[in-house]
Amino acid sequence: MSHPRFDLHIRQQLRTGERHFELNARLQTDCQRVVIHGPSGAGKSLLLKAIAGISTPDAGFIRLDGLSLFDSDSGIRLSPQQRQLGYLFQDYALFPHLNVRQNIGFGLRQGWRNPGRRHASTDVDYWLEAFGLQQQACQLPATLSGGQRQRTALARALVARPRALLLDEPFSAMDPALRSQLRTELSTLLQTLSIPMLLITHDMEDVHHFAQQALCMQGGQLCGSPVATLPDLQASLA
Amino acid sequence: MQVYYGELPDETLLMKTQCLTLSLCTLLLAGHAQAAEITVSAAASLTNAFKDIAHHYEAQYPGSKINFNFAASGALLQQMSKGAPVDVFASADQETMDSAIKQKLVNAADRKDFARNALVVITPTDSKLKLQQLADLQQAGIKHIALGVPASVPVGRYAQRALENAHLWTAVGSKAINTQNVRQSLDYVARGEVEAGFVYQTDAAIMPDKVKIAFSVPLDEKISYPVANTAESSNAVEARRFVNYLLSPASQAILARYGFQKP
Amino acid sequence: MTSWLPEPSWSALLLSLKVAGCATLLNLLLGSAVGLFLARARFPGRDLLDTLLTLPMVMPPTVLGYYLLTLLGRRGPLGAWLLDRFGINLIFTWQGAVIAASVVAFPLVFKPARAAFEGVDGQLEQAGRVLGISEAAIFFRITLPLAWRGILAGLLLAFARALGEFGATLMVAGSIPGKTQTLSVAIYEAVQAGQDDNANALVLITSAVCVGVLLLAGRLSPGRLQER
Repeated sequence: MSHPRFDLHIRQQLRTGERHFELNARLQTDCQRVVIHGPSGAGKSLLLKAIAGISTPDAGFIRLDGLSLFDSDSGIRLSPQQRQLGYLFQDYALFPHLNVRQNIGFGLRQGWRNPGRRHASTDVDYWLEAFGLQQQACQLPATLSGGQRQRTALARALVARPRALLLDEPFSAMDPALRSQLRTELSTLLQTLSIPMLLITHDMEDVHHFAQQALCMQGGQLCGSPVATLPDLQASLA
Repeated sequence: MQVYYGELPDETLLMKTQCLTLSLCTLLLAGHAQAAEITVSAAASLTNAFKDIAHHYEAQYPGSKINFNFAASGALLQQMSKGAPVDVFASADQETMDSAIKQKLVNAADRKDFARNALVVITPTDSKLKLQQLADLQQAGIKHIALGVPASVPVGRYAQRALENAHLWTAVGSKAINTQNVRQSLDYVARGEVEAGFVYQTDAAIMPDKVKIAFSVPLDEKISYPVANTAESSNAVEARRFVNYLLSPASQAILARYGFQKP
Repeated sequence: MTSWLPEPSWSALLLSLKVAGCATLLNLLLGSAVGLFLARARFPGRDLLDTLLTLPMVMPPTVLGYYLLTLLGRRGPLGAWLLDRFGINLIFTWQGAVIAASVVAFPLVFKPARAAFEGVDGQLEQAGRVLGISEAAIFFRITLPLAWRGILAGLLLAFARALGEFGATLMVAGSIPGKTQTLSVAIYEAVQAGQDDNANALVLITSAVCVGVLLLAGRLSPGRLQER
C-alpha cells in the first residue's frame, strides 16, 4: 500500500483589522518535487507554515507519506518538533549568535546548551564539505555572503535527516546571477535526496527548474489541475 | 501740552521704564518676604503646641506670618550651620543651643528658656507587658525599643544618659531602633512595630488612643527647652517679638495644655 | 585598609552591597519572568498591568515606603500573616530593606526585559521548533542569549538604584547600624549629626560605586557582538 507523498486539505481564516483572508487548500500528489507558485499574498507561506506546524489551520488534515501531521477530526496535532521536517525560511532565520558550525549542528543536540564553537561532528562536517563551507565554519552569519547564508540554512535543515524539505521562496533575496548558480546547486542536491520537497515561489524560473509537479495558488486556493509534468531535471542538465 | 505722534521723547520713555522696573521689583520682593514673615526652626516635639501658638500670634499681630520647620534639634542645627535662612531656633535641649552659640549662629544674650518637659517610656495601648522601671526593659518580651539617634536627637541623648546612669545601656541599647526624630519613635510605638519607646510626655499625650505611658524616666538633669532669635535673621525685630511672645501668659497656657511644664 | 575609613562606613558599605545585591538578584528572577510573560502573553489587560507594575518607578519612595510599612508591619495584612504563620517580621531587618529596594527598582528590570524579549525575532524561535528543540531549550539557547544584554543593562541600573535607595528603606528597615543602616541612611544621619568627615567619606564611596556601575552598563549595551 503506498500513500500519496503529500495529502492535505486545510482551511484557515485570518483577520487583520478590516482585511479578511481565507485559506482553502487541497493537494494530493505522488510527486517528490512540488512547486507552488503564485503572487504575493496568495497564501503560499501560510500553507507551508501549516505543514511545518508553525501555524495551525482551523480545520482539515495534513498527511505526509501516510503519516498524519494534523487532523482536526481526530484531534491529531503534531507539534513542529515532532514533525521532523526541514524548513528553509525566506530570510534563512540563521541564529545570529552562533557560528556556521553551531547553526548547522543546532538540531542535532537536544539539551539546554548550544553545541560548542568548535564542536566536532561527522554529520556537520559532511555538510560543511558538501556545501564548501569549511572556511566559514567559525564565522557568524552576519559576516557571510547571501549564498553562504542560504547554504548554511539548507545544511541546517538537512543535517537531521528530515522527512521532507519545505522551502519558502529560497531565491527571492538574491540577484539573478547568484540565483541561477544556486538553483543549479540545489537541483543537483535534490537529485541525491529521496525525501519529498515542497517549494513555494513567485518566480516561474523555479517552476521550470525544480518541478515534477507545479501548482498555482491564488486567493488562498490551489487552483486548477496540475501543470503537465515537466522534463526530468537530469535530462535538462545533460 | 504738546502731543507727539510717532516717537515718544526720550524723557517720557525713561520714566516709563523706571516705573515698570520698580513695579516688577516690588512684585518680586513682595512675594519673597512680607513685612513680618519669619522662619522658625523648632524641635519635632513642639509641632502641635507651636502651630497652635502661631495661630494666636498671627491673630494678635495681623500681617505677621510664621513659617515652621520641624525636625530633630540636631538636624535643625546642621541646616542652620550650612546657611539655611532661619529667624528663630527652638531646641529640645540646652546642648544643641550651646552648639549653636559656639558656631555663632545665635547670640548668647538672646537665649531664653521657655518650657520644660519630661521623659517617659510608652508602649502600645494593647501591650500586656509589665513595665514600671528602666530595668524592666531587659525582659525578653521587649524585642525592639524606639530611641532617637543620640548624635542628633535630644530625646535619644536623654534616654541614653538615663540608661547609662542605671548601667543598663549595654543591655538595653542593643534593642534600640534608632529613629530620626521623636515623632518617628511615637509612630513606631503607635503601629506596634516596637514594644516600647522613649518619647516626651507631651508626645505621649497626642496619641492617647494608641499609646500609653508605662513610666516616667528619672533624669539627673531637667529637660529644658531654650529658644533664641538667630544672629543672621533678616527680620530681627519680628523674631524677637515672637521669642518674647513664647514667654507670655497666652503662650504658656497653650504649652501647658499640651503637657509642657513651666521653664 | 580600614584605617582610612571610619568604622561605620565599612559596615554600611558592606550592608548596602548585600542589600542591593540581593534585591537585584530577586529582580533578575522576577523581572525576567514578568518581562517574558508580558512579551508573550496576549490578553486584554496586558498594557494596564504593565502600567501598574511601572508605578514604583514614578511614585515617591516615601509613598512606597509607607505602603510597604502598612502592608508588612505587624498589624498589616501581609505582615500579620507572616508573623502568625512563620514568625517572620520584616520590619527593621535587612531582608525588609531588600524588599524595599526590590520594589523600587523592579520596573528598571522588567521593562528592558520585556523589550529585549520582544526584540528577539519570533522566526528564530520558530526555526528552533521546526529543528526539533523543546520550548525550554529554545528559551535557553535562542531567546535568552539574544535578550540577555538588554536585561543586563537594566539590571545594572536597578543595582545602582537599589544601592541608593533611601526613603522606602528608612521607613521599612529603620536605621540600625550594622544591621539596616545602609550607605544612604548613614550619610543622612552623619549630615544630621554634623559629622562632615564621615559624610564626605561615605558620599565618595557611594559615588564611586555608582559611576563604576554606570560605566559597566554602558559597555554592555546591545549591539556589540564580536566575531568568535
